[in-house]
Amino acid sequence: MPGISHRQDEEEFRGATGSLFRIALSPTIWAFHFLFCYAGAAVWCAKVGTEEGITFLRLSILGLTLLALLVIGWQGWHSYRQWAPHDNDDHVEGPHRFLGHAALLLSIISFVGVVYVALPALFIETCL
Amino acid sequence: MIDRAPQGPYPPTEAMLAEPVPQDLRDAQEDRLRKVWKTKTGIRYLMSVNNSEVGKWYSLTCFAFMLAAGVLALLMRVQLAYPGMQFLDADRFNQFFTMHGSAMMFLFAVPLFEAMAILILPAFLGARDMPFPRLSAFGYWSFLIGGVFVLGSVLFDAAPKSGWFMYPPLATMDPGVGSDIWLLGLSFIEIASIAAAVELIVGVLKCRPPGMRINTMPLYAWYVLVVGGMILFAFPPLIAGDLLFELERALDWPFFDPSRGGDPIFWQHLFWIFGHPEVYIVFLPSVAIAAMVVPTMAQRPIVGYSWIVLSAVGTGFLSFGLWVHHMFTTGLPMISLAFFSAASEAVVIPTGIQLFVFLVTLMIGNVQKSLPMLWIAGGLAIFTAGGLTGIMLAIAPFDWQVHDTYFIVAHLHYTLFGGMILPVMAGVYYFFPFFTKRVLSVRLGKWAFWLIFGGFNLTFLPMHLTGLLGMPRRVFTYQPDLGWNTLNLVSSVGAFIIAAGFLVFTYDLLRPGKPRLRERNPWNAGTLEWSDTLSDDAWGVRSIPFITSRYPLWDQPQLVDRMAQGRYYLPDAPEGYRETMVTSVIDARPVQVQRVTGDAWITLLAAVFIGGSFILPTFHHYVAGALSGMVGVGCILYWLWTSTARVPEKDMKDAGLGLSLPTYASGPQSVGWWAMWITMLGDATAFASVVFGFFFYWTADANFPPQGAAHADPWLVGLSALALVVAWALTLGARYLNRTGRTPFARAALIAGPLAALAGGGMLVLSVLHLEPSSHVYPAVVCALVIWTGVHVLVGVLMQLYCLAGTIFGKIDPDHDADLWNVSLYWHFHVLTVLVTATVIGLGPRLL
Repeated sequence: MPGISHRQDEEEFRGATGSLFRIALSPTIWAFHFLFCYAGAAVWCAKVGTEEGITFLRLSILGLTLLALLVIGWQGWHSYRQWAPHDNDDHVEGPHRFLGHAALLLSIISFVGVVYVALPALFIETCL
Repeated sequence: MIDRAPQGPYPPTEAMLAEPVPQDLRDAQEDRLRKVWKTKTGIRYLMSVNNSEVGKWYSLTCFAFMLAAGVLALLMRVQLAYPGMQFLDADRFNQFFTMHGSAMMFLFAVPLFEAMAILILPAFLGARDMPFPRLSAFGYWSFLIGGVFVLGSVLFDAAPKSGWFMYPPLATMDPGVGSDIWLLGLSFIEIASIAAAVELIVGVLKCRPPGMRINTMPLYAWYVLVVGGMILFAFPPLIAGDLLFELERALDWPFFDPSRGGDPIFWQHLFWIFGHPEVYIVFLPSVAIAAMVVPTMAQRPIVGYSWIVLSAVGTGFLSFGLWVHHMFTTGLPMISLAFFSAASEAVVIPTGIQLFVFLVTLMIGNVQKSLPMLWIAGGLAIFTAGGLTGIMLAIAPFDWQVHDTYFIVAHLHYTLFGGMILPVMAGVYYFFPFFTKRVLSVRLGKWAFWLIFGGFNLTFLPMHLTGLLGMPRRVFTYQPDLGWNTLNLVSSVGAFIIAAGFLVFTYDLLRPGKPRLRERNPWNAGTLEWSDTLSDDAWGVRSIPFITSRYPLWDQPQLVDRMAQGRYYLPDAPEGYRETMVTSVIDARPVQVQRVTGDAWITLLAAVFIGGSFILPTFHHYVAGALSGMVGVGCILYWLWTSTARVPEKDMKDAGLGLSLPTYASGPQSVGWWAMWITMLGDATAFASVVFGFFFYWTADANFPPQGAAHADPWLVGLSALALVVAWALTLGARYLNRTGRTPFARAALIAGPLAALAGGGMLVLSVLHLEPSSHVYPAVVCALVIWTGVHVLVGVLMQLYCLAGTIFGKIDPDHDADLWNVSLYWHFHVLTVLVTATVIGLGPRLL
């Protein structure tokens, strides 16, 4: 019967916080994207936007959005790999695969969320 | 160093579990467990800290506050039944609608989540108790004291009257004590809420039974995890806001006064950064109840477990991007409004997914008609209607039309009744046999449902129309020729029908002589809470099971018998301590036997005195308030010293099934460290909100900091940061020195640390003494940052001295250093606070 070694436990602790962090990664990217869009627009419109227009702001949001989508896409792909069954896999879903599936679904919803939040910058052309 | 690795076989084999326990041993074990977990009687019953007692008190108190707030609503509906009524005057009407909203939100909806979670979570997890029972009890007493104080004010004509979101300048300039009662009383309750959130998060992560991996835990636990996390990020901004607001009320620091650089919009931001996530903090735990009830009623596992996790986590995150949709009419830039509009639409996706998951589970399951299912179905219908008006309101131009009208009142009641009240009622009917071992009446339950459901629609459906016809919310009366008369009368009649429904429910809940429960698992449910014995023993579970399935009662047929026979873990309490099991975060492998705190008066005393420090300043008794606070802190120190992280009488103990586990843990292995980490995350959020204020004022006002304004002395600020960094390093050094056995040096570091910290705190205060915070918002926000940091210095010093005493009196030694780990974790966060404060007040004005 295998006992539990202390080392194993510490490793699991590290892996545990790692996996839990990973399922929250995509929504966190969404949150930061949202925050930067909002704060960027607020500061830009308060300080310079009324005179200089918001073209620079809109381009920045576009860049930020592409960056966020790239990271979320990368994370989604990784989670998919973690979730998708492998040939040598037993069919019981373990925590590892489950966390992969949850992270994949959260990446999809975060992707949609980022696109939603970026849409206003596509259509709105002034601060007012 | 003692080796604290678990010893012995894990996981247990079938042969080990099948081995019978001799009858006489079983009886002796049961006697010992019963004695240890015995609930006290008479007046000493109030000392109880066991989750089942505290949970019951908590839930019943919430329910009582809800009924009181409901009575206020009825009185308002009487006043509005006919135009020009003179039943309530305008001032009293203002007090009533303010208290109705405040009480329903702060004294019912959020605390009820905590109450129910404290009551049922340990049972879902097969745990004996929550990891910190005294913290639950402290939270409850704080809630009771704060709640009675706030709600009681309405009887003395002294209640707050500026609406439940307390907008300045109306609320800041309100002459009575009402606003102070709201700010201080509710801050006190919010702190208790955060305490409960810490407890619940640690409970879910660390107190699951062996084998209940993160992908097999009940969905309720996922929701608790998400909602606990949301509380940590949502409540602190409001607490920070309350602090600034009270500084304006008491000391005239102009945070929200535009004539001196302040901005009332800043309060709206802080309030709604709390307020919108709060809606989901209320909604998600109720959906969580549905997620437990639906599989039972469909008699099959939930379809799409990971989809529910997705929607809970996704909703949790997205709900933080919605707050400005409460502020669409404040004149923010159009593009900012559009971001929030988009996010408000996006949140529909995860919210919708969970409803569809329930529907699919019901469709392919074999649904039993039952009372809980009736309430869930009613809830889904009402919530969907509320969600649809939500989508309309998320579109800014529509919101401009109906802002502050009865359309909003209708929308928010549809979401809250459908998303919270009805699912919670389902939960009450579903779990009642588990709490009390008695059964509620089906006939009365149906009456209650149809009265509440029908009355609700009669009251609130017409309000959509009343709102579209232009009736503003919060008016105490109206002219008869506006076309609102019939609609208002219908709403008033409906309100009394709802009340009749609640009356029927309350009668059923409280009437004596309800029939006893005859079987353990009346609904044939699959989750662990229904393994409970019929005799209502206070031990939680007879033995802590080994779990291999999401629905162990369905999939592990011998489980209940084996639990009851004590064949699993911790079947005994030979040392006479209350114990529960701590397991690892993902895989739930056993790592520790946690001795939990027992019944005590000290938690009640701590709540009374800490409560005094919030309540007395309301009436400007500042000295008495400070004294009360000091006594309260003393009570907490006594409680921590006498009952937490004690050096155990033996380092390892037999946990059953041949497994030997440590009885002490420190650092990331211990539940206390996790609690500190989570608490500090909330604390950091509150601090970030004050820092946000600094930059908000900079954005909002071109003249911030004002030309020629006095600044904090940069040299003193720099020196103070240096001294506090030294204090941090000394704390960390003390932990290292203690662990390596150099105790005298560790003590020296713990003497030098507080001195450096006090010097640093002193210099920080000196650096701003020449400022006049009531003259302009710039010095005010600088001083607020200094106050925040200074108070944290004092707490840090107290912690260092606590550890110093620990090393002297044998509570801390090289092998037992949990306190030092927790204190150094506090200092990690604190040193960040110091550096940010120093940068903002020292360098900020020179860079901006």
